[in-house]
Order: sequence, then structure tokens, then C-alpha cells
Amino acid sequence: MAEKQGLLSSGWRMVGRNKRYIVWFYVLNLFLGLFGTVAFFTQAGTILDHSLLADRLVHGFDFGVYVEMLARPEFGPTTASRWAGVFLAVLFFVATALFLPGVLQGYASTYRLPREDFFRACGRNLWRFIRLMIVAFIIFLIVAGVLFGIRGALEKAADESTNELLPVYVSFASLFVIFLVMSILRIWFDLAQADVVLSDQRAVRKSIGAAFRHTWRGMGRLLASYVMATIVAAIVLVAGILVWMKFVPPASVMGAFFVSQLTLLLLLIPRFWQRGVAVTYYLQNMVQPIAVVESVTAVTVVAPVVAESAVPVAPVVPPETQAS
Amino acid sequence: MKMRWMILFFPMVSIIGLSLAVMRHAAEAAPPQAPATVVSAATAPMAARSAGALAIPDTVLAINSDEPMSERVVHYEIDAKYDAVKHAVDATEVLTYHNVTGQALDHFPFHLYQNAFQPKATWVNEAKVMGSRDTNYEKWEDKYFGSEEIKHLEVVGQGDLTAQLHFIAPDDGNKEDKTVIDLPLSKPIAPGEYVQFKMTFQTKFPETQARSGYKRDFVLGGQWFPKVGVFWHGAWNCHQYHNTTEFFADFGVYDVKLTVPQKEIVGASGVKVAEVSNPDSTKTVTYHGDDIHDFAWTAAPRYKVREAVYQAQMGPVQMRILMQPAHWSQVDRHENILRQSLDHFEKWYGPYPYKTLTLVDTEPGSAAFGMEYPTFITGGTTWFMPEGLYGPELVVEHEFGHQYWYGMVATNEFEDAWMDEGINSYSEVKVLDSMLGKDTSILNLAGATVGERENQRLGYVSMADFDAMAKNAYEFYNANSYGGVTYGKTASVLLTLESIIGEDTMAKAMRVYFMKYRFTHPSKEDFLKTIEEVSGKDLRWYFNQAVYGTPVMDYKVARIESLPVNWYEEKKKAGKDDKDTVYRSYVWLQRKEDFVMPVDVEIKFENGDKIREHWDGAGRWTRLGPYEKKTKLASAEIDPDHKIEIDRNDFNNSYRTEANGKPARKVANYWLFVEQWVSQALAWWAV
Repeated sequence: MAEKQGLLSSGWRMVGRNKRYIVWFYVLNLFLGLFGTVAFFTQAGTILDHSLLADRLVHGFDFGVYVEMLARPEFGPTTASRWAGVFLAVLFFVATALFLPGVLQGYASTYRLPREDFFRACGRNLWRFIRLMIVAFIIFLIVAGVLFGIRGALEKAADESTNELLPVYVSFASLFVIFLVMSILRIWFDLAQADVVLSDQRAVRKSIGAAFRHTWRGMGRLLASYVMATIVAAIVLVAGILVWMKFVPPASVMGAFFVSQLTLLLLLIPRFWQRGVAVTYYLQNMVQPIAVVESVTAVTVVAPVVAESAVPVAPVVPPETQAS
Repeated sequence: MKMRWMILFFPMVSIIGLSLAVMRHAAEAAPPQAPATVVSAATAPMAARSAGALAIPDTVLAINSDEPMSERVVHYEIDAKYDAVKHAVDATEVLTYHNVTGQALDHFPFHLYQNAFQPKATWVNEAKVMGSRDTNYEKWEDKYFGSEEIKHLEVVGQGDLTAQLHFIAPDDGNKEDKTVIDLPLSKPIAPGEYVQFKMTFQTKFPETQARSGYKRDFVLGGQWFPKVGVFWHGAWNCHQYHNTTEFFADFGVYDVKLTVPQKEIVGASGVKVAEVSNPDSTKTVTYHGDDIHDFAWTAAPRYKVREAVYQAQMGPVQMRILMQPAHWSQVDRHENILRQSLDHFEKWYGPYPYKTLTLVDTEPGSAAFGMEYPTFITGGTTWFMPEGLYGPELVVEHEFGHQYWYGMVATNEFEDAWMDEGINSYSEVKVLDSMLGKDTSILNLAGATVGERENQRLGYVSMADFDAMAKNAYEFYNANSYGGVTYGKTASVLLTLESIIGEDTMAKAMRVYFMKYRFTHPSKEDFLKTIEEVSGKDLRWYFNQAVYGTPVMDYKVARIESLPVNWYEEKKKAGKDDKDTVYRSYVWLQRKEDFVMPVDVEIKFENGDKIREHWDGAGRWTRLGPYEKKTKLASAEIDPDHKIEIDRNDFNNSYRTEANGKPARKVANYWLFVEQWVSQALAWWAV
């Protein structure tokens, strides 16, 4: 039975079958990142390229020299570089939202999703995703606002304590709680996204409602899976930085670039893994059997696009053949 | 089903648990309710001497010396009771003053420093406008309020003069400022005579401001009692308390009784001579200080105490380290930096004569960290302080250094702040360089490094255009300029001076200055002339620019050029990269700003040859060369030994012909990583 299959393992297999999505997103992020770094690189080059002092940044990292570089008038305002980075981060965010429906469709598919189907899914769900994100944004904002407000009040109260470490404990513990709550919200809207795409649901409120019910029902399995993926991400990040610090010689720019980019590539995997978990959960628990009205004439059954493990199976068929 | 309830249950229980824990600890933090107590003048042990028998004690209880080391002008006898609930001190003070000024004194000004923390006071006004280390007073809160009130004052032989007291504002005329009070006498005090003031006063501490006050159940009593001004250069020197100023006082003897709740652990200036328990759950601790010019104390119930002995040149020094419990793992670091600081200062400048040295790790989150008082300093650390982050070492070393540059060489901190903070910052750079490495003395962690000399220089060059070093501390452009110039510029100017007179000569000059002027109030010229005398050089050209002026230094390698001598011959031959081509090379240097200083220049060629040149810097620019060699120029560098610390832009001090893009690529790669990571994190949570 599909229900007995682990979310993590099924999700992981989906990620494994669709590695290309991770590579695409990585390449997109790298491209945008490089684009956003041009201004910084050029500004730094005007100061560093012909100066012997710059050598102190190569053989080790003299933080004072770095700060002095940023402070030089000829470097220009640091906001220029910073805003370029912010804009491109937003661009990556938009691109992720745009292409995610195709990814979800690909994950649910038992075969390699053709490019036109991928983009069709993206286009068909664009407006739905925007509506979903608006709702998610409002809910995230309210919940995060309340939680961080409570956290602030607790920290303020803890600060009156004579135990210096109490505010620290309060801070970390409350952050952990906020992380758990926000993860639950993330699960909710990840399921809603899966439902919107895979059920071709135009009324996003129905997907939000269904996802809410299933988040509630499957909270244990889902949250455990999401937390596990996040822990893996944290391990990847820490390990990557440690390798960078311990094994890459200070003067090796290429080595640093390779390790940092590998870390970022690996860091993408846990989030796609979570997506795989959400799609798996959808296929195992949320798919509604579809009453296919067969005419007297034989209906051409298109190749099933739903994972065979999902039972009862709601065959994902071209929308024009679906019954309403 | 069960699982999801557990998941929801966990955050709820966490929040409730955290709330309870916080409330419990907050409740524990609240000081015990105790009735306010006031020490009456009648019960206070006022010195019952007649005016004719007045004298300043010649005690040596607190110093490793057989005789007094300073000209003792004052003797303070204070009996104070601290109310831990009201954060207030009620006290009696007997001040005996010896008129060594050579002229009759018909009035006496007193500092009432704690009155600075009132909304209309000059200190608060300046903090709001100029910026402050501690509080920017976005809105006024009651906890910021401090006060110091003389309730009764009599002068032995002249009677009750309380009514004669009146506030003055010698610096800015602010009638609302109550930090200086003046007392006209009915009968002047003749030269050589003594006068005794008996007063009762009450001080209310604010939540820590300017390194004094309370925080939770901690208190640091600094600048807490009425303190007479200094008669200096023919007049009373008693400035108002300003946002950027510190203090100035005469040497003398302090006998202070502190009555505090029984549970308090107390630390203070001087040596502890008695401790008695009182029937009302208090205790009275008595301290005595010789040849000091201030007295500070602290009390808190949770200090963990390390006692150790340092064998100084004049005798043993009892080191007492009061640590916060959560910082106890750092106590060895604190003791080590104290020992090493004592070692370096005794070796370089002169002996530490006092029998005690108390280091206080102040209450977390308080504004009491990083302060100096005689034989009593406050450090600064947090619960998380990995090895390689040398914040505690930096603060403790700096504050210890003030035992020399402020404690013993007691310059006027109102007018010549650079002479204590700046000279001390210079010493601090030298000591930390010696202990932790020139380029790693602040940070040496995860491959990133910063040295304290670089830190001081950056502090200066960021605010180089506004103020001279030799300037009243309360007349700076803003708090950043005060900090950048007073600390950073002075340290950088003195480090650069080493390149002019030599490091050894500078070390000798500093020792001579300390030994000659310890236990006195030297002026800026005393210091500068000492350096000139020891070095045997006329350094006015340097002091006029660096100390008295605001010229900024920025030298630049403007251009370097290597041309084939036979450039006019046919193209394919001229400039051809063969071994016989002779190049004529030039280097252009530019002085971009007004500071004129001779500099060395190192010129390197592609074949490895080096040439050292010297430029007096007199003109706006100069051209070095021609150098005719069968090789081209590779680079030119001003100040190749990196001895000049006052150049505003170190990047343009050198130029290499062949661009090296590696540094820019390296820092850009960091930027790229952060940018991509932020993008991924945003997409993770938001989509």
C-alpha cells in the first residue's frame, strides 16, 4: 500500500528522478548571483587590482583591509551592490514561483515530463500561485508577527533576570518554536500548491481548505519529514563552510568558488526533497477518485501520469477530458 | 492523531514554560524590599578635629612604598549607606583640602557628576545631539534619572555655608545644568593652609549611564560623591560634566565606609581594611586608598571571585577579579591579560606601586563596562566569547593602561582627553601587538584577522576632517569624531612618530614621561617636549600638523611608466621583449592632502631589483627616476615598511603595473555566496 511507503523515501526518489530541476534552479541562481555580483566585483577591482595592500586579502583575510575597501569613496555606496543583490534575490523568488508548478507536475509524473508540459503547467498555474502566495503571505505575516511579538516580550522579561543565560535560552527556544510553527504553515501551503497543480484546481480556496485538513491529519509524518530535511540542510551548510575554512587555502579563489557553489547546490536539495514529500503525501492521501464518464465510443486513455503507487488512483488526464 | 496533538502541545508548553521561567527569574532579580535608610549627620562619624590640627594623612597602607608618592592635596572621609531598593546612597563626607596653590582661595567649586543624568542637563543635551556610547535618549525614561544633592555643608571655622552653594555652568552657561556647584567662603584659605568641609549628601543612581549606576541587582558607584575641582594653571579647573568628557582631580587619601546589604559582594578602589556585620542585615566595608584621585566601588550578590597575587617591582599586588557567573570560564583569560598588562607596563614605563588591582566584569547589558578608576577597572565580555575573539583582552588591557595614563599620570581629561585615552590607546596597541600579534590582536578566527593598530587607524581616518587632537573634549564635532581623533588619531600619530624618531627612542621617551610626571597633572606641552628632549629632535613640524592641526595625510603613487629608450626606432624592435631592450622608468608620487611628511619609497623591477628612494613631501608631487635598466618597473610603494599609520588611504600608497584580479575575485566570491544563499533562503520560505 502506498500509505505505508515513507514520505521521505518516496520524496527522495522523486528528487532523484528529477535531478535536472535542481540543476536548473541552481544554474538560474548562479546566473542571477553572478549578475548581481558584477557591480561589487567592478567596484572592488578599481581599488584592489593595482594595490599591493590588496595582497592582505589574498593570503588570509584581513578584515580591516576589507572594511577599509568598503569605506573608500571610490568604492561607491555599498547600497548599490546590496540592492543589486536584493533585486536579484527577489527575481529568483519570482522565478521559483513561476517554475514550481512544472516541478510539481514533473514530480507527480511517472515519466520524464516533456518540456511543453512543464511550461504548460507553469503557465496554467501562474495566477493560481500568485493568489496562493498572497494568502500565504498574509497568514505567514500574521502568525510570524504574533510569534515574534511573543518572543520579543519573553526576551524582554527574561532580560530582567539575573541569569544572563536565560534570555539566550529563551531566544533559542522561542526561535525553535517559531521554526516549527512556520514549518507547519509551509507544509500547509506546499500541500495546497500540490493540490492546485495536480488537481488542476482553479478555486485555490478549495486547495487551501483541503491542504489545511490534511496538514492537520498528517501533521506528525509531514512535520517530521520537513524537519528532517531542514536538519540535512543545516548539516550541509555547516559542513560546506567547515570544508571551505579548513581545506581550501586562503589564496585559492577557484577552490573557494568550487566549495561554496557545491554547498549551495547541495543546499537546494532539501527544499526539493520537501516538495517531493508534499507531492508524495498528495498522491497518497489527497487525490480524489474521478468519475470518468465514458461515452459509448471508446475513450482514448492517455498514459497515466500519476505515480503508480498512489491508490486509489486518480489518473491525471488532460484537462479537457476531465469531468467537472 | 496523537502525534499532531503532541506537535501542537509542544510549542504551547514551550511558550508557557518559557513564560513561567522568565517570570520566575525576573522575580528573583527583583531586589528585596527593604525600608529606606538614611544616615543622619548626627550619627555619622564626622572627623572631630579642630581646624588647627588639620592635615592630610601620610599613610602608605595601600601602596608598596615607605612614603607618599604624590603631593597629597585632598583627604576624603566618606561614610555611605547604599539602599539597594532605591539605588541611592546617603552619606556624610569630610573633605580636608590642603592649599598648595600658592595663593589664597576664596571659593571652592565641586563636581556633582550624577546630576548630569537629568533631561535638561548639558550631558543629556549633548548625548541627544552628538550621539553617545550608551543611550541616545529617544525618549526620556525615569530610570535614566540620576541626582547628587548636598543637603548640608559646613566649613570648619566658618560654619554652615549650605545657603551659599550655587550652581555654575562655566562651559556653556546652561542654567539647568547642576553638575558644578560653587561655594564662596566667608574667609579665604591662605596658601599652605588646610580647610575642612563637612557635608551630608544623597546620590541617586540612574540605570547605568556613562559607566555608573545600577542594573538589576548590580551597582557601580562611580563619580558618586561631591568632588572638589583642581586648582590648575592659576585658576580653578572644574568643568561641567559633558557627554564626551571624563574627569580630573587631585591626588590624596581616601577613607570610605560602605554599608550595603549583607549578601552583596563588594569591590572598590584601594585596600579593604575592615568588614563588620550590622544587626540590620547589612555590613560595613571600609576601604583605604593612598595617592589616588578618585574612588569607585561595586556591589552585586552574584559575583564569583578570583584572587591572585602578582609580584610587581615594588611589591606584591593583590589582584581581585569579580566575574559574572556565566563568564566564569573566562576568568583565566582575564587574569592572564591582567598579568601580561602589568608585565608590559612595568617593563616599558615604570612600576605599579599600588597593593591592589580590582577587575570587575560588569552586569550584562549594563553601560558600566570598559571603565577606569584608580586601582579599579571594569572589563567587558559576554557569555559567548570564543578564543580568537579578543574583546575581553582589548578592554581589560585598555582599562588597565589607564592606571598609568590617568591613574598616575593624571592629565586633564576635560581638556586633553587625547593624553589619557589616546596615549593609552597607543600603549594598548603596543601591548596587544606584543601579546597577540600585530595583525591579529583583535580577531584571529576562521581565517579572518584584524589588528588593533589597524582598528585605531580606521577609527581615525573615518573622522579625520573635523577636529584636532589638542582640543577640549567637549567641543568635538560629534561623539564619533571625539572617539576617532582622541583614541584612534592619537594612537596612529604616536605609532607614526616611531618611524620618525625610532621605536627604541619612542619607548625611552614614554618611560621618561611616565617617571617624570607620575602623580602630577602634566600638560600637553610637557608630553611633547619630553619626546623632543629624549629624541633630540625638533618635532614641531610634526606636532603642529598632527597634534594641534587638522591636516590629513594622503600620499599616492600617481603613475609609473617604463618606456624603451629606443622607442623612436622601428616599431618591431622598440619595446620588443628581448633581453637587450633598455627601459627608462619613472615613478610619480602625489601628496593629495595637506599633511606634509617625508616618506620612503620602494621601487621594484620585474627582474626583482629593488631601489629605495626618499621624498620630503614638500611639493604636491614629484617624479622619481629615470631608472635605466634592461627591465621594466613592476611596482612602487610608499612607506614600504608600513610604519605610517595616519595615511587616509593605504590602497593608493602602492601601484603595481600588472593588475592582480585575485583579491577582487576573492571578496566578490564571498559576496556571491551570500547573495545566492539569501536568494535560496527567501525562495525556501516564501514560495
